[in-house]
Amino acid sequence: MTRYVMVADINRCVGCQTCTAACKHTNATAPGVQWRKVLDFEVGTYPNVRRAFIPVGCNHCLDAPCADVCPTLATYKRPDGIVSIDYDLCIGCAYCIQACPYQARDRVDIPNKAYGKQFGQMKHEQKVPHSERRAVAQKCTFCVDRIDYGTANGLTPGIDPDATPACANSCIANALIFGDIDDPESNVSQLLRTHEHFQMHEELETGSGFYYLWERK
Amino acid sequence: MTTESPTGKTKIPTYCYQCVAGPDLLNVRVEDGIATEVQPNFDAADCTPAAGKVCVKAFGLIQKVYNPHRILTPMKRTNPKKGRNEDPKFVPISWDEALDTIADKVKQIQVEGKTDEAGYPKIAASFGGGGTSTYYMGTFPAFLSAITPIDMGFGSGQGVKCYHSEHLYGELWHRAFIVTPDTPKCDYIISFGMNIEASGGVCGVKRHADARDRGVKRIQVEPHLSQTGAASSEWVPIRPKTDPAFMFALIHVLLHEQRDRLDKVFLRDRTGSPYLVAPNGYYLRDPESKKPLIYDLKSKQAVPFDTPDTEPALEGQYILSGIELGADEDRWEHQDIKVTTAFEKLVEHMKPFTPLWAGRVCDVDHKIIRRIALEYLDHARIGETIEVDGRTMPLRPVAVTLGKTVNNGWGGFHCCWARTMLAVLVGALEVPGGTIGTTVRINRPASDRNDSVKLSEDGFLAYPMNPTDKENWVAKPEVRNANRTLVPLVGNSAWSQALGPTHLAWMQQEKGPEHWPQATKPALWFVYRTNPAISFWDTEQITETIATFPFTVCFAYTRDETNHMADILLPDRTDLEGLQLIRIGGTKFIEQFWDHQGFALRQPVTEPQGDTRDFTWISTELARRCGVLEKYNKAVNRGAAGVALKTDYYDFSLDESQAHDVETIWDANCKAASAEITGGKESQGLDYYKEKGYRLTGFPRIKWYLTAKMEDEGVRYELPYQETLKRVGVQLGRRLHERGISWWDEQLEEYEGLPDMMDFQALWEGALERNFGVDISDYPFWLVTSRSMQYAWGGNVSIQMIREVSQNIGTHGGLVMNTGQAHKLGLKDGDRVEITSPLSATRGILVTRQGIRPDTLMLMGQFDHWATPFAKDFDVPSMNSLVPMLLDLTDSSGSGADLARVKIKKIGDAK
Repeated sequence: MTRYVMVADINRCVGCQTCTAACKHTNATAPGVQWRKVLDFEVGTYPNVRRAFIPVGCNHCLDAPCADVCPTLATYKRPDGIVSIDYDLCIGCAYCIQACPYQARDRVDIPNKAYGKQFGQMKHEQKVPHSERRAVAQKCTFCVDRIDYGTANGLTPGIDPDATPACANSCIANALIFGDIDDPESNVSQLLRTHEHFQMHEELETGSGFYYLWERK
Repeated sequence: MTTESPTGKTKIPTYCYQCVAGPDLLNVRVEDGIATEVQPNFDAADCTPAAGKVCVKAFGLIQKVYNPHRILTPMKRTNPKKGRNEDPKFVPISWDEALDTIADKVKQIQVEGKTDEAGYPKIAASFGGGGTSTYYMGTFPAFLSAITPIDMGFGSGQGVKCYHSEHLYGELWHRAFIVTPDTPKCDYIISFGMNIEASGGVCGVKRHADARDRGVKRIQVEPHLSQTGAASSEWVPIRPKTDPAFMFALIHVLLHEQRDRLDKVFLRDRTGSPYLVAPNGYYLRDPESKKPLIYDLKSKQAVPFDTPDTEPALEGQYILSGIELGADEDRWEHQDIKVTTAFEKLVEHMKPFTPLWAGRVCDVDHKIIRRIALEYLDHARIGETIEVDGRTMPLRPVAVTLGKTVNNGWGGFHCCWARTMLAVLVGALEVPGGTIGTTVRINRPASDRNDSVKLSEDGFLAYPMNPTDKENWVAKPEVRNANRTLVPLVGNSAWSQALGPTHLAWMQQEKGPEHWPQATKPALWFVYRTNPAISFWDTEQITETIATFPFTVCFAYTRDETNHMADILLPDRTDLEGLQLIRIGGTKFIEQFWDHQGFALRQPVTEPQGDTRDFTWISTELARRCGVLEKYNKAVNRGAAGVALKTDYYDFSLDESQAHDVETIWDANCKAASAEITGGKESQGLDYYKEKGYRLTGFPRIKWYLTAKMEDEGVRYELPYQETLKRVGVQLGRRLHERGISWWDEQLEEYEGLPDMMDFQALWEGALERNFGVDISDYPFWLVTSRSMQYAWGGNVSIQMIREVSQNIGTHGGLVMNTGQAHKLGLKDGDRVEITSPLSATRGILVTRQGIRPDTLMLMGQFDHWATPFAKDFDVPSMNSLVPMLLDLTDSSGSGADLARVKIKKIGDAK
């Protein structure tokens, strides 16, 4: 079996938002919509305070709350662990947006206009309109077209750039690592063996596909 | 099998050099001629230290091309009145009209005299910091060289917002315009406010992440918890501007508690530590050769420093005879006087600066200071070696780094000296794992630090100090910031004018100091990739000054606060539309020490928008219309565009009588670059670089360090004692006093053999009280700033996507204040507040954070825009409008620091 997951090494992440920007380019998301972003956290009270940067996005859960509430089965789980949305089936009811504990979903009804209505769409916004995503739920896809292209062409997702999500490709700190957790020799499996790690909202038992490394064992 | 990758069919290689942490080699995905996506260039993964990755700023470049706010045609001002509240009434004009108008002005200046009644150049030019503009302005430097002299001294933050003291003293001491740890090998870093995770670019971020992964310990000492502090092992919240005390205490611990563990071989052989200092503060010298003397423990006598087969004494006092050569013709002959080794003087000098003393100054537990000193020493691995390119070198994996406000302004000299001394004491200067330099900008050749190593008569690194002797001192300033007259250390390279004191040029426009020529206004001012009306201090005054300049030409991307006062706007092509070959690799700037060197091409990835023109086309047309085409072409042939087009082993020079098109000029440069890189064997031109994007060859790692060259040439670092600086300072003082000038006296005090400690906080407080007649206790907070990785240097405030992603960093939103302190004052996150300094006031939103000292406030980046589209709606304040330009707060190197005292009051509730 194969299950693709994302691993974020918070010892390496510095919150630069390059992944955020790369995701916006690759997926042409609307202004204000970030399928991948990095949160800026503080823990503690001065002077005993720590600051950390936490990449977030869709966790591609095994038991996905978003899929549970979807009335049209538009949100579904692929055999490789990626949670996808069939935009043709989605009616834009936004139940999934409410249900997602990771706040990873959005709905956008209008074409992208970064500088607002009065200036219209820029050329690159017109070129990649993604009109199939209007008025339906949207979220991180793990750049699924790359995964499918890669597996069809003998490439390894998470290793070969053409088969790897844009955020992991772009990460300047190599803090985002993508791979197959069911392969014990994969990049992500090795990292999870050698590092202490946690998942967000583990208590909700979503079976998240997003792991956070915080130090070497 | 699918044949087309979803990452795109057409990818065009180019580079981003928006900041000095570049260049980042990248690909742009293009769909039907439209640029849609910036991607890493994984072809370059093995030959760039950033592994082909791209900084967040580069992702703004696509919106930069298609931004609806762009200026897309030349414009001229039709409202002769200039001012913030005057509508310039720009109207579109043709390129012919724009360029002819400028050319007429240039020709008039050439005919009537290139300098004005004060002796200053009539033409001035200001460019964005760090030399990054050069990587975008094509052949414009060749044009400027054809119409010299140019006053480049109207800065846009240079000197006060750069690593200014580090630039000057770094070059003086170890050819290090920029100083960095040898991060790939370093195990322990003490970082005083150096926000490397926001300023180090892709290369810096990756290297430091790798270092953390292998267990490097980095201590971040700074008043607020920056991104770098977040990624460090420990944060030490120090009082602003007290870093010198902390560093002096570290040295104290090493000298007075751990002296036996220091690298005495390095101190003896590679530094001035054994040189004997005579009673007047200058070296004791041999009467015949005039060489400085050391005491030889073998022969038990004083001998010239370069005497073979000696064992110089590092410590001790001796009764000896010799001469002492002071400033000008000062000379003392000594018989049997007491002299002291420079190292012994250091030991005595540092005695008072105990951790207990420093702890009180810095508001840091003294036990922390002592522990850090000991950890630093423990990690230094003194005595260990490593092989680099076949040569055995010391391995000293410890370093101290300095950030802005620490390494500039008053205290910058002290911090730079102390940092370098911390390296010297453990033999960690310019060795693997230690503190190294990356860039040369004042010495020559700029292309190779190692080749710039020259032996001075006294056995140290020779330095091109501006003269201070009676005969050669540049008594009459050549440019309005008087750089060569006032600051011997800035030298006389192409960078020297921009090294300032750049605020002096602005300050004098209002009122010059006594016995000094009243500064004139430039008759013609070129501005590119900079916005001094926003990015310097006292922005209101600068804006008013800019409005008085009679003829300003701005290369303009969008309207902004500086070009609001322009007479002509010229829309050049943006980063992804223009053509230029640049030199890359080797060692330079922030963390940029590579295993490769060579060239990269920036090329149009999409059709240029509107009637914008390539910078090289603009430069050639200006040269032709100004009647200086031959001089311009000569400069291009000489290498003004980056590569000499003719050498002994190749010749791609251009016909000097003809105007050449953009592609012809860069094709010649590409061919010359290929020839240079292959020793004349190959000569691929523009087509090759358009396809590949770059061409590299190896760069030997041994050249990351000066050690091999220093050892081979027998050169010493002039540390700890500063005899050269002391002499220069006395001479400069005499020259100024001979002209009745005493307003530079405080700066002269900084020329010392060993730096005297000062109360730097009191210095700021006193200067503000004196100049503004305020009681400083009414302004209870220190205001500091911090680097924004998303914005710094980019000129990208009008890019929506940059604004959007930067908002994920919590400290971008407004005035950052300690949460507990806010609570005490009845303030809460989101409140609207007024921030008032003795100079002026501004307004913004309060952002409460735990990671900042209660006595400190922080404003990130430089905003406060009122003309730049999109950015003018941010409602984010900037410290620049609050910080005055004061001579009292200018140090001897001509530098100031981003630091203010402010008070705040609530003016509205959180929404």
